[in-house]
Amino acid sequence: MPNETPLIHTVTHASGEAGAGDQAAPPRSKIEVKALDFFYRGYHALKNVNLHIPEQQITAIIGPSGCGKSTLLRVFNRIYSVYAGLEATGEVLLDGENILDARFSLNRLRTRVGMVFQKAVPFPLSIFENVAFGLRHHLRLSRGEMDDRVEKALREAALWDEVKDKLHTSALGLSGGQQQRLCIARAVALRPQVLLLDEPTSALDPIATGRVEQLLADLQREYTIVIVTHNMQQAARVSAYTAYMYLGEMVEFGSTAELFTRPQRRQTEDYITGRFG
Amino acid sequence: MQSTRGLILRRRTSNVVSKLLGIAATGFGLSWLIWILIVTLLNGARALSPRIFTEMTPPPGADGGLANALVGSTLMSVLGVLIGAPLGIAAGTYLAEFAERRPVWRESIRFVNDILLSAPSIVLGLFVYTVLVRQVGHFSGISGALALALIVLPVVVRTTDETLRLVPNMMREAALSLGIPRWKVTVQVLYRAALPGILTGVLLGLARITGETAPLLFTALNNQFWSPNLNGPTASVPVVIFQFAMSPYDAWHSLAWAGAFVVTMVVLVLSVGARAFLLKNRMDSNA
Repeated sequence: MPNETPLIHTVTHASGEAGAGDQAAPPRSKIEVKALDFFYRGYHALKNVNLHIPEQQITAIIGPSGCGKSTLLRVFNRIYSVYAGLEATGEVLLDGENILDARFSLNRLRTRVGMVFQKAVPFPLSIFENVAFGLRHHLRLSRGEMDDRVEKALREAALWDEVKDKLHTSALGLSGGQQQRLCIARAVALRPQVLLLDEPTSALDPIATGRVEQLLADLQREYTIVIVTHNMQQAARVSAYTAYMYLGEMVEFGSTAELFTRPQRRQTEDYITGRFG
Repeated sequence: MQSTRGLILRRRTSNVVSKLLGIAATGFGLSWLIWILIVTLLNGARALSPRIFTEMTPPPGADGGLANALVGSTLMSVLGVLIGAPLGIAAGTYLAEFAERRPVWRESIRFVNDILLSAPSIVLGLFVYTVLVRQVGHFSGISGALALALIVLPVVVRTTDETLRLVPNMMREAALSLGIPRWKVTVQVLYRAALPGILTGVLLGLARITGETAPLLFTALNNQFWSPNLNGPTASVPVVIFQFAMSPYDAWHSLAWAGAFVVTMVVLVLSVGARAFLLKNRMDSNA
């Protein structure tokens, strides 16, 4: 069980990295990013990024298109390594262990760090099988246990009541908002410690967006959540901490209230007030 | 405003002219196909009788059917698909899913596969004749099936490769992000998403070899008698059509028409069925 891994407590004070809002340093970091650089076939996409993701909080990453926020998120579960020619250097510590280390098992990493994508992509399977898919691979469960885990995940994703009577029909028949919640259920079914969300509501209407945001607020009690969003109002609504990125650099990181009301840097202020972006 | 009216008139005229040219070209191309179909259907229907399916190919001057040829064709085509399709699916999967880090190698294989795809089928027949029939010392249905498999192979490689590449990358990422290894993601998620396309490729391959004559001439040869043993010379409908159509006997001509009719119908049903299946699945997944 991933949740029972002993948590190695690490030093959480940022050691004076420029712009990393030290006074807002959270009490405990789940993920620590140290001097991270990222290259897309030679293009320098992330430049010396340093960041602490606080545990069991929602951290939003904002910034204009192409600033590297999705790239940063995709480093946290190393999904970028699917493609050739992409390279990350530096350190990303998950509970003190460097996940960029080639010896760190990818599949173990991904059971601890789940991900939800911009567009809902249900597998061409039934609703039940979508949620059970990861469980079947990682755990040997009896039929009853499996039913319980699937139900629990669907309840956590606030989808259970809508689908409980059609669990064995194709997931492709669900609405866009339901499909996205199904993807969240699929990710939380494995009980990860961290949940990464890459613009999870950009394809949803306001009502479905509201439901997903409500869901995130409920989930943060159990998960460390990192959400990339284009929508500054969304960042302000859902997150406790916000990071602002620009051109591959981490410009400012701090508590959301602080960053939106008293940004330390001029660049951040220009972006959040809409003078630039 | 006079010039605007002139412009509109000119555009209308060129629109009508190009439309007519397009329709005429389509009609010219299609008319041959329709002509072939009508002649085959008329002559074939006249020659068709239950005996076609129950009696063996006759010697000159006698009555008979095509039973041995139909069985031989079915066995060799099915065996050809059974050999060619799994290999093709595996190779197509490799190209689409596992060759990412070796682009030159991957493109070379795709290129070679395209060459195989357009290779004249008689060359494939000669190839199997040289490497198998000559070595074994006799013609056989197995070598015929092997020659047919070589035709199925590149078709299935291509369609598998292409349909897997149509599966959005996000689906791969979503499955991999659950900590599931690549091979399992491919088999359990991507194949399911690509299934209609892969099946269509297999069916099109089957349709293509059902009517092939050339690769069987030097491999399966032919057989006048009941011969379910694929280790010996085996009759097939296309080769029988070839032999009977070239003969001077009316009874043989009529059987050749019947064979042409049956093969045409099978290929037609397979191709239309494969495409209908693909279309239905596309519409289902868009709904």
